[in-house]
Amino acid sequence: MNINKFTNAQKTHSNGSFVRIVKFSPYVLLFILIIPVLGGLVAVMLPALGWIPALNQYNVGLQGFTALWQTPGLGNMVLLSVVSGLISTFLAFVFCLMILATFFNSHWLARIQQILSPILVIPHAAAAIAVGFLIAPSGMFARLISPELTHWELAPHGVFPHDHYGISIILGLTLKELPFLLLMALGALAQPELASKLRQQHKVALNFGYCAFTAFFKVILPSLYPLLRLPLLAVLAYGSSSVEMPLILGPNSPPTLAVAILHWFNDVDLTLRVKASAGALLQLALTLGLLLVWLMGEKIVKLLCTNSLTNGRREYGGVYWHKLTYILTIAVVFFIVTALIGLVLWSVAGYWRFPAALPDSLTLLHWQSALSQIDEAIFNSLLIGIISTFFAITLTLLCLESEQLCGKALSGFSQLIIYLPLLVPSIAFLFGLVWLQQLLTSQVSYINVITAHFLFVLPYVFLSLATSYRRLDARFAIVAASLGCKPSKVFFMVKLPQLFAPILIAIALGLAISFGQYLPTLLAGGGRINTITTEAVTLANGASRRTSAVYALMQMVLPLIGFLLAWLLPRYIYKNVSR
Amino acid sequence: MQPSLHIENLNLFRQNEHLLRLNEHINGGEILTIMGPSGCGKSTLLNWITGSLAINFTATGNIILNNQNLTNVPAHLRQIGVLYQDALLFSHLSVAGNIAFAMPKGDKKQRYEKIEIALEQLGLKGLADRHPDSLSGGQKSRVALLRLLLNKPKAILLDEPFSKLDLELRETTRHLVFKKISDYKLPAILVTHDHNDAIAAGGKIINLSQKPL
Repeated sequence: MNINKFTNAQKTHSNGSFVRIVKFSPYVLLFILIIPVLGGLVAVMLPALGWIPALNQYNVGLQGFTALWQTPGLGNMVLLSVVSGLISTFLAFVFCLMILATFFNSHWLARIQQILSPILVIPHAAAAIAVGFLIAPSGMFARLISPELTHWELAPHGVFPHDHYGISIILGLTLKELPFLLLMALGALAQPELASKLRQQHKVALNFGYCAFTAFFKVILPSLYPLLRLPLLAVLAYGSSSVEMPLILGPNSPPTLAVAILHWFNDVDLTLRVKASAGALLQLALTLGLLLVWLMGEKIVKLLCTNSLTNGRREYGGVYWHKLTYILTIAVVFFIVTALIGLVLWSVAGYWRFPAALPDSLTLLHWQSALSQIDEAIFNSLLIGIISTFFAITLTLLCLESEQLCGKALSGFSQLIIYLPLLVPSIAFLFGLVWLQQLLTSQVSYINVITAHFLFVLPYVFLSLATSYRRLDARFAIVAASLGCKPSKVFFMVKLPQLFAPILIAIALGLAISFGQYLPTLLAGGGRINTITTEAVTLANGASRRTSAVYALMQMVLPLIGFLLAWLLPRYIYKNVSR
Repeated sequence: MQPSLHIENLNLFRQNEHLLRLNEHINGGEILTIMGPSGCGKSTLLNWITGSLAINFTATGNIILNNQNLTNVPAHLRQIGVLYQDALLFSHLSVAGNIAFAMPKGDKKQRYEKIEIALEQLGLKGLADRHPDSLSGGQKSRVALLRLLLNKPKAILLDEPFSKLDLELRETTRHLVFKKISDYKLPAILVTHDHNDAIAAGGKIINLSQKPL
């Protein structure tokens, strides 16, 4: 009887449909990422060269670029984008290294991680609003030191935010990207084999008399940096081309290049679109140039420092660096906490005269009036977030499973493509993508928004799930197969439940990323689909500070609920067994 | 028919490097012991037998279980059980859940009664609803053994299954596993570093030494 069962099975089962779907999924992934990004870039190139069927313009030429060059203040815009992107990335990277070097092998690292990881959840727009409140002339800082230190009885005329040098943008970006880089580094250091190897190497260096700070830079960093490269490039690309931060914190005349492009695209004068498309290409060149500069800088630093790795010097003033790091860490935490407190206070403030650190009266009025109008935005945020995250998670899991079924990791090319939407400035390809989408579907803007969100959700979901999926002991699958489980059953009944907690975290992260998207929502939705984030950005520059605070807080609350659920659910599901 | 496991003219390669050659016949209740330094291909051999050979390895030869050629049968249809040095209990399931996972489909109540009896026989009474992480090392390996046996395998592979247990526990667990193998008349292969394991297994011992340089 058994023999029959076996021979039958052999005939029918050589390759189940599940296995076929799984093995096919990496191609779907490539297709679904390359087409919109490259298609978007091509589609933005055509109008830049004057070919716009929609406007009946077919004279191919360089008018767009001519118009762009003639824009007053173009040089300033470019400079502002380059400087704010480069300096903020550099500062965030240096602070990140200092914190790692000082607290490596200390329990404080885990605590700093706990304090900073919620920052990752805060969308850029909300962070920008909070920072703006902090440094504004009548912001929390001025209030904390007035009137005792400043003798200000009335709010002064300050330059922050919206200063011409982009200092506010740099501050906002640095504070927002520091936790991201730190968590990426800690994630890399959490890989079991690497972690124990590096800790031992660090100890060896300490035994040789190297101070902890030097040991980190000479022993750990060379192994760690390659794992940080991609996140760093993503931060740089974002910093040089983002729209939310400069819209809320940056100067208006002239703004950064990305913001200017956005204005041109949204202008009622449709001919400005030619100039905008040319600007988008300039932005692309700018960001790619910055990435190249960073990579070259990397090579130069490596060349200059190779000798000093083995020069035997064990001490570079580590004590002072330690002290400086302590001060900086406290400053960063203080900054973030004050910004959040300020945001909460503004959202419930009644009358709040200037130098007072606390409002005279508290009221829930702003919340009530905001909540009465906010339900459509919340519904849109949830709908778009849930659908785009669902597809991102499904595709990620299938691709990771295909890695294991095929016995080899995705190719380096595929891995790079996954991060493509993070490396190509979104303002450059999103306009093209929108033109393409309008060719395909004229009215269904929800689908367009969801596709655009998916492009940005996928890389983060993949980043978050890949480590835990690859770390799962391969012998579990062998044991399950030896107990008679088909590959599909191994996937659904063994791997997914074992990875329940990391999957939930990835879902929460995907939702958070989707909730925070401004540009994709604005462009793909044609401005007709409002989410919490688009509302918050719109309100940040016009409406009252109090309403703006409520929207910024709502932006933080939604993803926070997601993470809270991701943290709580595994305790009740699959763990309801008495320990 | 006498149950048996036959490894017929096996040659294992890592890329183009020849790892090992094997031609063995194991009768039901017998244990073939394989010893050798790490990297000589012991684990690869077991992966080949279970049908989960990694991509950079190749093999020629046949694996025949009870006169049936399994060489091209997918892993989950081979009915060959494996015990590793880690119990590898599924952490999303209780002890009983882990065992039920391995058992054939059927009436829920009957299956759980069967699990209770089996647990009691191995001195694990009352642990059915516990979470695997809360068990001691010896308890975990006994649950892993039960999970394996109630799956009714046709052969058993042991990949250093006792090496993480302390000395005393090691002997009792070893005795238990070997007794079950002989009770159920299952052909078995044991991979180990430990001479005591090899002697206790009481079967043929093959020493795979690395090829001279």
